[in-house]
Amino acid sequence: MNSPTKTKQNKLIIAKEMLGNLVDRRVLTALEVCVRCGICTESCHYYQSNPKIEHTPYYRAELVRRLYRRFFDPVGRVFPQWFGAGETTEDLLSKLAETAFSSCTLCQRCTLACPFGVETAEIMRITRSVATATGNAPDILVELANAAIAKEENAELFRDIYLDQIKDLEKEVQDILGSSKARIPVGEKGARMLYVPLAGAHTIVPQAVLFNIAQESWTLGMFEASNYAVFLADGVKAKHIAERITKEAEQVKAKEIIIAECGHAYTTMRWDVPKWRGSPLPFKVRSIIEVLDEYVREGRLHLDSAQNSQPTTYHDSCNLGRKGGIFEEPRRVIRAAASDYREMTPNRLHSYCCGGGSGLVAVEEWADIRLQAGKLKAEQIRQTGAKIVVTSCDNCRHQIKELSERHDLGIEVTSVSELAVKSLA
Amino acid sequence: MTLEIKSDQTINLEGLLCPIPVVKVSQAIKNMAVGGVLEATATDPGVLLDIPAWVKSTGNELLSIKKEDKLIRFFIKRTK
Ligand code: SF4
Ligand code: SF4
Repeated sequence: MNSPTKTKQNKLIIAKEMLGNLVDRRVLTALEVCVRCGICTESCHYYQSNPKIEHTPYYRAELVRRLYRRFFDPVGRVFPQWFGAGETTEDLLSKLAETAFSSCTLCQRCTLACPFGVETAEIMRITRSVATATGNAPDILVELANAAIAKEENAELFRDIYLDQIKDLEKEVQDILGSSKARIPVGEKGARMLYVPLAGAHTIVPQAVLFNIAQESWTLGMFEASNYAVFLADGVKAKHIAERITKEAEQVKAKEIIIAECGHAYTTMRWDVPKWRGSPLPFKVRSIIEVLDEYVREGRLHLDSAQNSQPTTYHDSCNLGRKGGIFEEPRRVIRAAASDYREMTPNRLHSYCCGGGSGLVAVEEWADIRLQAGKLKAEQIRQTGAKIVVTSCDNCRHQIKELSERHDLGIEVTSVSELAVKSLA
Repeated sequence: MTLEIKSDQTINLEGLLCPIPVVKVSQAIKNMAVGGVLEATATDPGVLLDIPAWVKSTGNELLSIKKEDKLIRFFIKRTK
């Protein structure tokens, strides 16, 4: 995880500069205002699954505070050991990097509990930025972000492979619908919606089936919605990756960008991209979940709940739910598609993170940490007695599947779109 | 006639959804010696794009990637 090109001294200079730039008055207030009262302790799934001081939100913020004081407090500059005895600044930097990437999923649940609204997730996001800039971020997240950029830089080369792949998937859609007229249009100008999938076919085929049934004016995007640079808190790369999509939407003159079932991709396009551009997007941004809910409510999609009689529950992705406010839309579709729906407790705004968020699910070396942190979610699922767990985020989907194996839940994990296809009347 | 590629290690990524195949490939390659060849089979068609893109951005070498009905087989050589 260490970049050999960055010398020790360089790393410290970069870290100091980044921290100085990123810790604005709002973040500084958050760092100063925390009185270590501990009210937020129980709100963190890491602490609930493994109660130790390192898993409390204030411990995480305390590490950042220590680093900040070493760099910027006059006393800390002269006597750095006063802010962390026996620990070098490099040690502190790598401890912080590991904490920010492996022990906080930026789920924001602790902020709900804090009487001062301290945003530990924001403090950890800044820490991720510093870790990324100093070469301390997990390699795989950097590789996935760079691969997304490589796809754009070699768009001509990848276009033919993609179109071939989509032709095969179009046949699958035609088979499911029993109609050779069903289509997966790609890059079609004048389509009302640009649907942005993820890399996997499971985010293309079911949605294409549903768009065809609803007779939607849509076209499939060339690039995947996921943006690993967001997990790295690398603003420059994240903007670049997101712009592949907004450029395409402008080219096809779409009125709406519809994001696949992916938590961070939705909040990035909905909230971050307009911020990065400094102006509102010229199109609406919605999640596919909102579109499916609209189809069901308007009678454009007829689902039969009798097709799915197994006990079914829904896991709120932190991004779509707590950060995106999408709570009722998936529930309405699931209730239309499954006859035995059960809630986990707590849910919606207070839902616990599954443990795999913010890119953690992709970091193999920390699989044990996230599977342990997900113990609470596993128990919540077990208590519902559900056999089907629906979630509208691929990160959560991978994590819950692995939780099922680790904690012997015997469940099937699926998406809202796939469940809807299974229940077509 | 195609030349058969000899692999040093084989991994089964069948049933895994993107981007997890890339995650597993990245880890397997890191555990191999430079010059070693990794062979993998996957079923998610997303790998047809994800693997070449990952290889381009990491500088490893994609020796071959082929669809055999529903199965996708590829060979990657670790170059550094
Ligand atoms: S509840 Fe707020 S003030 Fe209390 S320890 Fe947690 S972050 Fe600090
Ligand atoms: S943001 Fe979530 S994971 Fe991070 S400290 Fe708060 S509750 Fe825990």
